[in-house]
Amino acid sequence: MTEPIIKVHGLHKYFGPLHVIKGVDLEVMPREVVVIIGPSGAGKSTFLRCLNFLEEPSDGTVEIDGVEIRAREPGREHRRRIQEIRQKAGMVFQQFNLFPHMTALGNIIEAPITVKKMPEEKAIAKAEELLAWVGLSEKRDEYPSRLSGGQQQRVAIARALAMEPKIMLFDEPTSALDPELIGEVVEVMERLANEGMTMVVVTHEMHFARDVADRIIFMDEGVWVEMGPPDELLTNPKEERTKRFLAHIL
Amino acid sequence: MDISTGSHLPLSRAMKLLCLLVALTAGLSLLYGIQYYAGGPLRLAVTSPVYDLAVSGDGNLVAAGAQDGAIRLWNIANGWNMLTLAGHTGPVTGVAFDSSASTLFSVGQDGKVLIWDVQTVLSAGSTGGQAKKVLATADGPLNSLAVAANGSLLATIGKDGIVRVWDPESGQVLQAIGPGESTKLAVALSHDGTLVAAGDGEQIQIWEARTGISLHRLEGYVEGEETEGQPGQGEKVTALAFSPDGNYLASGSDGGTVLIWDIEKSKVAWATKGHLASVTKVVFDASSEYLLSSGADNYVRRWRVSGGKFAGLFGGHLGTVTSVAFGADADTIISGGSDGSVRLWDGVNQLERHLVWTRLGLMPVWGTVLAAWMLGSGLLGLVLAWGLWRVHTWGHLGSLALYTIGPLFSIVLPLLETTAYPISWSVRLNIAWPLILLLVWYIFLVAYIRHDAIAIPYQAPEATSLAEQLMAARRSGNIRFGLFVMATWLFIFILLFSVLRRFGLDIAFMRKWLPFIMGGAGLTMFISAAAIALATILALIGALARLSNNPAANGISGFYISLIRGTPLLVQIFIWYLALPQLGITLEPKLAGILALGVNYGAYMTEIFRAGIQAIGIGQYEAAHALGMSSSQTFRRIVMPQALRIVIPPIGNEFIAMMKDSALVSMITVQELTFRAQKLGRQNFRNLETFLIAAAFYWILTIVFQFFQGKLETYMARGERR
Ligand SMILES: Nc1ncnc2c1ncn2[C@@H]1O[C@H](COP(=O)(O)OP(=O)(O)OP(=O)(O)O)[C@@H](O)[C@H]1O
Ligand SMILES: [Mg+2]
Repeated sequence: MTEPIIKVHGLHKYFGPLHVIKGVDLEVMPREVVVIIGPSGAGKSTFLRCLNFLEEPSDGTVEIDGVEIRAREPGREHRRRIQEIRQKAGMVFQQFNLFPHMTALGNIIEAPITVKKMPEEKAIAKAEELLAWVGLSEKRDEYPSRLSGGQQQRVAIARALAMEPKIMLFDEPTSALDPELIGEVVEVMERLANEGMTMVVVTHEMHFARDVADRIIFMDEGVWVEMGPPDELLTNPKEERTKRFLAHIL
Repeated sequence: MDISTGSHLPLSRAMKLLCLLVALTAGLSLLYGIQYYAGGPLRLAVTSPVYDLAVSGDGNLVAAGAQDGAIRLWNIANGWNMLTLAGHTGPVTGVAFDSSASTLFSVGQDGKVLIWDVQTVLSAGSTGGQAKKVLATADGPLNSLAVAANGSLLATIGKDGIVRVWDPESGQVLQAIGPGESTKLAVALSHDGTLVAAGDGEQIQIWEARTGISLHRLEGYVEGEETEGQPGQGEKVTALAFSPDGNYLASGSDGGTVLIWDIEKSKVAWATKGHLASVTKVVFDASSEYLLSSGADNYVRRWRVSGGKFAGLFGGHLGTVTSVAFGADADTIISGGSDGSVRLWDGVNQLERHLVWTRLGLMPVWGTVLAAWMLGSGLLGLVLAWGLWRVHTWGHLGSLALYTIGPLFSIVLPLLETTAYPISWSVRLNIAWPLILLLVWYIFLVAYIRHDAIAIPYQAPEATSLAEQLMAARRSGNIRFGLFVMATWLFIFILLFSVLRRFGLDIAFMRKWLPFIMGGAGLTMFISAAAIALATILALIGALARLSNNPAANGISGFYISLIRGTPLLVQIFIWYLALPQLGITLEPKLAGILALGVNYGAYMTEIFRAGIQAIGIGQYEAAHALGMSSSQTFRRIVMPQALRIVIPPIGNEFIAMMKDSALVSMITVQELTFRAQKLGRQNFRNLETFLIAAAFYWILTIVFQFFQGKLETYMARGERR
């Protein structure tokens, strides 16, 4: 029996007096795709960012691919483990956050070279492969400012993949895109899921949730309200809050 | 304006003709200006530089030898009536009267000594008659002349360095002394004719005139005295004169020193650094009470012989004062200069009382002004003619007005100035006919332009649609606007140049010393570059400290910024250079300057860096961290390059400001551009010229760097959205 690749236990997050994540648990198996939905302010982004410690959780443990970190432990070892987890978990942001002073290729090879100390030729070869995979070979030397939103997000995905992560975190990757550009990004994410990547995705893209997700979590006010396979949760939700939310967005 | 007239003409023939006329006129003006400055023959205003000048004992006659080979003789008593004596075939380098003013002697670069009978000359009328006698050497130019009081003996110095003593009666050369080892530039004869003195390099030799026996050798200061650093050391003797009483010898040198020697004791009686440039002539008054000296610093100075007390400064010449003499008494002073003027000064009030020029004509000042105008308006005219052709239209009379005002101005004013001369209108016309011709020509041009056929509306032959026509019209408007802007710049330059010339801007001096002043430019650049490098490092550290949450770092940085910003840069420079030695830290001036500028600008630039770093969004940090990059990697690879791009334009501005502020380090003896300009200007009394060079250099540098900064900015912004 395979072990879960992500194990979250008793996760809490406070922003000052504001209790945003109220003790959630989650286990994700390798190759599993988990989609988190929920109203604005539910704490979805915060949860995701706690997974790679862009936000330091207030309490609980996070374990990714065997690297376990307890919240708020001081010291060097703690920081080393955060670096380790970040290399195992690639992240894609709503606002792309590409480095504007680097070309598409530059963006992709940056982390492998500086963090993994990968030789440049190897990093470039790998980056070209990834660019081809996201369908942007001809944009290799363009600066982000000359790419469309969809193209930028695809480069951002390639950039995260260049670190050869074990899992991928997506925080509303298509929300900042014009409707006609959403498709190209979703298509890349689907391919990624099909190739067996473990993914935790915060999105309102219901097609993706329905077609690709193995499990959907409805989150509200810092807790899991309901969790289940897509057809079950989307067509036949048990909780009143879930029903209201789905009625609202579908 | 008759719109229909031109509407069927693509480019009216009248218009074409106008362009050609303007171009032609402009071309001619330009040619005139160029040939004037190149020393060409066409000069609407000419004078001949005075080389030497003599005044008769009664103070009534002034004789001036000039470059054009003529001697001009003015009769002061007779309203400065002028005679021209022609005889020399080269520049006249020396003139002298005997004490009774019955004979006038002159020498020239043609190697001749001419002896004139004053009575004959005066009675011969304006042509001046012939020389009474001509003595000649075959050995080349004669450079200086001295005459004994009774006219019985002459002494000359030739370019060959030989001192010749002549007997004017027989025409024989009694003695030919030399040449010595060094160049001889000055000769003097005692009034009784017994002694002849000549400057021989740095020394002065005195011989018995008739026998050539060497009597004295005045060499610096008397033995045993401290001579190092005394005035006149190591300078060449350029002027000499015996006092009428025979007790003293005065000498002037190329370093501007005036010395009075006690001949008996062979000793310097007194010395003064009298002039800021070479002394050209020294002369005693009849009672041996006063001494006059003239110099290449454009001034005449008067001294009391006993004690060497300064007794008057006379300024007004527009160039080197080549020669000076006393008039009827010690308070009447007459000087001649390379500007071609002879001036009479009131010694009591130190004022100019009379001014005459060596040739009737336009004043030399207006001559150069005119040439400058011609040069400038010629350029302007060519530009405008080209513009008219390009734009195919004439909408603004203003541009031609601009073009014509200049020449008109420079024609009318000099003409008016000729009324200062007591000459008839026929003579005046004879001098000024080229100007009048030009004037008529310009009036014609302006009148022609006013003609309706010329004033056609805008034409765009190739434009088919209305939109195209409008576009073309706008473009032509832009071109015209650009032309006007260009013309205005040019106009200002011409005006400035002319005005400065009017006040005696010494172009030759500027040309001569340009390399010296520019020699400081390298240092200016070096200091600025070094200081900006230091400032950049300090600013980066300061900004990081300011942004950190470490209270110590934050405090130190805040203190530094507050202290530096709260005190004047000049005070900081003095602290680095003058105050630190008191703490046992002595810095080289250059280093002190770089540190002061760098530390100062560092404080100001801290804010720039802080703003630059803060401008980088949180998303960039998060993206980098999510990829596993450490904080320092994130800063180096992601934040810094982007922040740099933001701060480079302001740093460029700081660098440009720094180049200008670097002038302040001239205060602590760093020999950069400003220091050199200041030093040279002070020494030569030529502050206008030297600081003009310095200012021009800073200006040009600023323009050049602004250009490159613009390029850099575009380069750095290559990732930005266009
Ligand atoms: N850095 C922060 N400091 C203080 N409060 C924060 C911070 N980040 C998030 N919050 C708060 O935490 C709550 C959850 O925010 P979060 O961004 O996780 O919501 P979300 O579910 O992602 O919503 P959305 O769909 O709008 O993105 C919100 O009330 C938000 O105001
Ligand atoms: Mg969110």
